[in-house]
This record gives sequence, structure tokens and C-alpha cells, in this order.
Amino acid sequence: MTLETKRIVIAALGGLFLLSLVFVQWMETARKAEEAGIRAPHVSVPASSRECVECHAEENPGIVAHWEGSTHAEKGVGCVECHTAELEEADSYLHHGEQIATVVTPLDCARCHDHEQAEFAQSHHAAAGNILASLDNFLAETVEGARLDFDPHSPTPGKAVDMVSGLASAYSGCQQCHGAKVAIEASDGGLITVDDLAPDSDGRPTDLDAVGRIARDENGKPLMYSGTWPNTGIGRLNLDGSRGSCTACHSRHDFSPRRARQPENCGKCHLGPDHPQKEIYEESKHGIAFRDLKDEMNLDAEEWILGVDYAAAPTCATCHMSGNIRNGGRITHDPGERISWTNRPPVSTVMDTDINHGIVTDTDPEVRRSLIHDTADQKRDRMKEVCSHCHTDGYVNSFYEQYDNLVILYNEKFAKPGLAIMSALVQNDLRTSTQFDEEIEWTWFYLWHHEGRRARHGASMMAPDYTHWHGMYEVAERFYMELIPQAREIIEHARETGLRSQGAAVEQVVDEILARPEHVWFEEGAEEAAARIREEMERRYGGTQRN
Amino acid sequence: MGLRSWLGDRLPVSGQQFRELTNEPVPYHLKRWWFALGGTPAYLFIVQIFTGILLAFYYEASPTTAYESVEYITREVSFGWYIRSVHKWAATLMIVAVILHQIRVFFTGAYRKPREINWIVGMCLLFATLMTGFTGYSLVYEQLSFWGATVGANIADSLPFVGTFMKRMMLAGDAYNQSTLSRFFILHAAVLPVTIIMLLVVHISIIRLQGVTEFKFQDEEEGVQKTFNFFPDHLYTEILIGLVLMVVLSALATILPATLGPEANPLQTPEVIKPEWFFYVAFRWLKLFSGTAAILSMGFIVFVMFGWPFIDGWIRKNTRFKEASVWIGIFGVLVIVGLTLWEAIAKH
Repeated sequence: MTLETKRIVIAALGGLFLLSLVFVQWMETARKAEEAGIRAPHVSVPASSRECVECHAEENPGIVAHWEGSTHAEKGVGCVECHTAELEEADSYLHHGEQIATVVTPLDCARCHDHEQAEFAQSHHAAAGNILASLDNFLAETVEGARLDFDPHSPTPGKAVDMVSGLASAYSGCQQCHGAKVAIEASDGGLITVDDLAPDSDGRPTDLDAVGRIARDENGKPLMYSGTWPNTGIGRLNLDGSRGSCTACHSRHDFSPRRARQPENCGKCHLGPDHPQKEIYEESKHGIAFRDLKDEMNLDAEEWILGVDYAAAPTCATCHMSGNIRNGGRITHDPGERISWTNRPPVSTVMDTDINHGIVTDTDPEVRRSLIHDTADQKRDRMKEVCSHCHTDGYVNSFYEQYDNLVILYNEKFAKPGLAIMSALVQNDLRTSTQFDEEIEWTWFYLWHHEGRRARHGASMMAPDYTHWHGMYEVAERFYMELIPQAREIIEHARETGLRSQGAAVEQVVDEILARPEHVWFEEGAEEAAARIREEMERRYGGTQRN
Repeated sequence: MGLRSWLGDRLPVSGQQFRELTNEPVPYHLKRWWFALGGTPAYLFIVQIFTGILLAFYYEASPTTAYESVEYITREVSFGWYIRSVHKWAATLMIVAVILHQIRVFFTGAYRKPREINWIVGMCLLFATLMTGFTGYSLVYEQLSFWGATVGANIADSLPFVGTFMKRMMLAGDAYNQSTLSRFFILHAAVLPVTIIMLLVVHISIIRLQGVTEFKFQDEEEGVQKTFNFFPDHLYTEILIGLVLMVVLSALATILPATLGPEANPLQTPEVIKPEWFFYVAFRWLKLFSGTAAILSMGFIVFVMFGWPFIDGWIRKNTRFKEASVWIGIFGVLVIVGLTLWEAIAKH
């Protein structure tokens, strides 16, 4: 190479290097602009999804807009990456040259987020679809609705109604939180679900006869049954055999971690008369602090580790799922990992769980020891790691003692006695095995399912009003003023109708319960205690204050 | 009074002497690009010093602040991500360049008498460069760098007699503690660079004293010019190589910028611990053989590498295998590449 050539090459390379620095300057400016919110983050549309984005930007601009604001878009994860499906999958179809499925299941998300999916799969969230065989579902499907479609009994002016969907309450109510069993319409007029398809571990159906009966539109797209789709219930029973729906918490199509970290996200389902965790949280000091200090919560942080990224206040995610500095920032997608009592059933039980994450209910200590894989104490210790960011050990331990005492009080004074009375009535044929066809069954349901849970959840998350007025007060009123009188009424009715021995058996149960020291005030009176209270009231407020 | 005469009064070097000093005739084989790469590591070292100083403005060497400061450099500081990425890639290329330079010297026999000492100096430079890479990676204080340093210290610990002492020297105690990072930082930003500079001065001085090894190629004609001027011809070549490197570094920094893994957690051992790529060969070797045997065999290999000019001299003098070094070199390179690839592919 001659000297002249070298000079030219040096000049060219020098120019190229300067250009690269100009490019770096451009990148830096763009980065600062994105950080300052002046400019939207760079979105890279993968080639495979370009056509989807172009078309859906016209058809459903909201979908594309949400996706453009997502981390997926920033990382080049497009539509096809999530919606892609194998030809063999039951709900797959060819859509503009791509084999896709409309419903994205946890198995699909696991292609990239396998660890998260595995944790979720073992959680109680993933089992939320079990409600389909529960008392709550009996309410929705039978009591509120009907297990059949039936003819309307009179016309609806302005609307041609030729059939009433008996399961409408279950579809739009229970299953939107708990998850539906997703169904495809069959060519023979029936429905095809995961039970018919019998998928293998990869989600591919093994019953090809069922696949052959799938009804499709003129483009080959399977006809999803409208009762069960759309559905983002957290325990959704998917056609590929997986359970759950990641979009229950990570709303599509922006999958915002920021939203999942906020209590409103959980509040889609965890609210209302039977499990008002959202309202309980709002009443608690934790919720009050969150409302005040939301701006300091660093909700957009990448990892969002308590003690590193924020410490202003805890949300549902903080305590139950997110990482903290004490546990090495380990996030869990199993919210049950840190819960030591389950307050869901009529009688609360400690969360000693077996290898399959089922609660060990055996009473024999030896059997329990052999079955328990993860103890309630271990779960509580994990929760205490979170608590200890803001509270001393003594404070946390004393709180847990208060909580334990409330749950045990509820269990022993009302839940177990109530359960004993209800069981005695069934055992003595004084009530039918059909639920909700007798007044006392509604009474008992309100007592444990609504008021009892409110009391226990209130205590678990430091909401005094829910613990007392919405909780134990109403439990007590329901127990003494409704459950006991209704039980006595049934006993009386039994005597009158010749079922003397049965009535006596139940009466013995009721009498034994009410003879216990904690109940004795009810029938024997509590004049001494009442007099003490009156005396104290008069001392404080004078003689005019009488209740 | 002109600047030249002002300077001439104060610096007793005449223009003629300066030209002689900087314009030594360069052997003709350096017109071949492959042989002009000796300056590459030195050039990259200058890049490292420059970018390293910029990074040191923000870096805080303490377990509680190190990761945050690297995160701050990467996300907040203007051009921080670029400077850090250039630093990272220049380190990688520098190690590659030193290894390639060493391989070139080996296969051309440029270490032979009278250049044995310079080979040993070169080996010292290689190990000083590797140590600088190791300490630099540890400074990031992410999970893998933390555990890599811990494993490195434990490996040192298994050395007979001096192991425990070396581990304590590395970690500033029996285990990773508050002082470990500041020790790594001082080593990375002061001790090792100064060592490298001193070794470079010795290395280049010896080259200047002995002259660059001259090679003759079969396609060269007899009687043609044997040397050419350093200035401007060879200097242009070096500038050209430098600019290519800067463009490559800039491209790598923008296309594959330095990432940041999860912060170090001393209580949580990662499922897979791997050092930086340049230690893959040693890491795989340690996995292949057990404990002390692995360490001693590795120590023996290093000893052979340092003393190779003398071993080769003995072989050439006392045996008929005059070109044994070539075959041993090929075998050595294949083993290094093979073990590195094996470790890179292996999941554990």
C-alpha cells in the first residue's frame, strides 16, 4: 500500500469513526428523550409481526397502542411470538400465513418465562378453576341461574330473546375471576373442552376424534364458545391442558409490571362481601401509606425490590410476591408461599403443605410430619422477611400473635360450633343435602363465607373495622340471632312432626355448645357484666347515658 | 525567539537526534499487516486508561454501592453506557490481541536467543492483562462476577503452601467482605496498569535495543531494500490499525452494549457459575482434574510457558526435533481453543 493510499484510507476511517460518534450522540439524545418522556421508547416490530401490526393498527388500534408501550415491543417480541401455535393444537388456525391461536395460555408464555410459569402452576391461583366443582359454583349455576338453557316466559320488548342462558351468572361472574373451562363449539352442536381433547404434556390433543368435530368458520378459524371466551380468570382451564391466564394480572397487550404491582390490579377479584382484601388493604395503614406515597414507589423499576427500589409502602405484590432485599430479591409467582393461615374455608387451617402444595389436614402428628413439605412457619418466616423492612421482630411477632388469636377465636367460638350444628342437622335428616334450599344454609353461608372471612382477612391485614364491625360483630349476630334460633326452630319442628330423637340429638349439640363458658352469657344472661359496664358508663358520662 | 529555539534551550535533544530516535528503520516484513499487530494491545491499553479514568469518576468500590454506581453509569450518566461498553469491548479485544501477539511470536520463533528475556516479559504482560480483566469484571458486583471472584479465590486457596495466603490477599480476609472490592479496585485501576506500563517500557526498550526480529519470506526478491522508515510509513499503518479498532469498538459498543446482570447476592449461589471467557480454559481444566492435581498441573503448564525459550533451546540443541515447538504450539492452541469452546457450550 502506497503512502498516498494509506492517507486516503486513514481519512476515510477517521470520517467513519467520527460518524460512529455522531451515531452514539444520536442514541444518547434519543435515550434521554425517552427517559424524559418526550419521546416514546423505540419499538422494533419483528418481521413476522409486521403485517399483524399494520392491519390491527387499523382494525384494533388499542391493541397495537398497548403493545407499543410494552417491554415486549422494546425487546422485539411481537404478536406471533405469543400467538404462534402448532398445526396440531386444537384452537390453532392459519391467519395471513401464520399458524396462530387466539387464546394465549401459560404454556405459551412459558416459552420465555418458564420459571414464572412453573411457580404459578403450583400456586393456589392456578387452581382457582376448581371452583367449578364448589359450593360457590352451585350458587351461580343452580341457585342464581340454571344448569340448562330455558325458554323466556314473556317477551323482551326491543330484543328478540329466544333462549335464556342458565349459566350466564357463572360465565360473567364467578368464572371471570376463577377461570372458565374454555370451550370450542363442535360441529354436532355440542362443546369441546380440555376434557374431550385430552392433551399431552406439550398441549397437543390426543383425542383426534374431538379435534375432527371442531366447528370452524369459512376461514378455518375455530368457533370459540362465547360463554367461556373471552375469559381472563386466573385459574382458566385451557384447551392445551394448562391452567391459568397470565393476563389475569399482566393485562394484555402491554403486560405492564407497573400495573401488576398496584393493589387495584388484585382488586379485580379480591374485593366484595366475601373476600374484601382490596378494601381491607385500603383501610390498613399500608394502604393509607400507599395512597399518600405512591409517587415514591418507583413502580416502573425493573426488578422492584423492596429495600432497593422502594420502601415507601407495601402493596399486595410487595408482601405476597415481589422480591425484597432480605430474600435476595427473589420474586415468586406463587402468592401462597408466604401465607401461614388459609382463611378461605369455614374453619381456618394452618398452611402446612405437602409436596404437591396441598394442605395437610391429617390430625395425627406423626402422619403430619411425614407429609408436610413446607410448613406454615416457613411460610410465615418468608412473610416476616418482608415485614422486617419496616418493623422490628418484636412488633411483627406480636402482630402475628394478635392475628393468630383472632383466627383461633373465630374458629373455636363460631366456626367449629356452627359446622357441628350444620353437620348434626344433616346427620339427623333435619335438613336436606341440597344446599341453599333451607334458610339456615343461607345463614351459615353468610356467617363463614362472608362475615367470617371478613373478620379473619381484616385481622390478617390490619383493618380493625373489617375485623370487628364488618367481621366478628356480624358473625356473632348471625350466630346468636339467626343460626341458633333457626336450629332451635328446626328442632322444635322435628318434635312436632314426630322426629323426636333426631331433634333431641341436634338439641344436645346446640345445648352443649351454648353451655360452654364463652357462650354461657347468651342463655343464662350476663347481668353481672352488664351491670359493670353500666356502672363504668355512669362514672364516665353521668347518669343520663344509658343504652 | 522561536518555539523551536525556546524548546531547544530547555530540552537538550536536537532535531536530528529526535528524528533518529523516532525514525529507526523498520524491518521490511512489518509491511505485512499480520506483523504490524504488535502495537494493537498497547493501543487498546491506552483506550482502557482513557475510558477507565472516566468510569472511575463515578464508580464506588463498596459492596453496598458498587452495583448501584455501575447501574448509574450505565443508565444515568451521559454516554456512560458507551464508555462502559467501549471499556468492556476494548478489554476483550486487548486480551485477544495479547494472545494473538504471543501466538505469532511463538510460531515465528521470535522468542529465541537473544530474546528469551523479552518473551518472559511478554508472558508477564499476558498474565497482568488477564488479572486486570479478572479484577475489572469483579468490580461490576453482579451475581456472576461476585461468584466468579469467590470461585477464583477458592481456587487460589487450593494451592499448596501459599494458597490460603493468596486467598486472604485477594479477598482481604477469609471471605468476600467490605474491603474486597476496594482491593480489587486498587489492583485494577492502579497496581496492575502501572505494572503493565513498567513491563511495556521494559518490553519496548528491549525491542529497541535488540531491534525487531527480521524475517525473510520465500517470495521476497534478493537484494531489495531490507528496511523502511518508521515515519511516516509505519506510523500511518499504526494509525490505520488504531482507527479500524476504534470503529470496531464503537460498533460493538452500540450494537452489543455492556449489560448488567442481577446484583450480587452472597446468600444465593447461582445455578451456573462461569468466569469471563478468557478463563474458560482454566475453569474447564480445573473441572477435568481434581483439586490439587489440577492446580499443580496448571502451575506446571504456566512454568513451561514462561521457560519455553530455554526448553526449546535445549530441544533444538540436544535432539533432532528442531521444529518441535511448532507441533507443540499447534497442540497447545488446539487444547486452549477446545477447552474454551467446551466450557462455553457446557451448561455446567
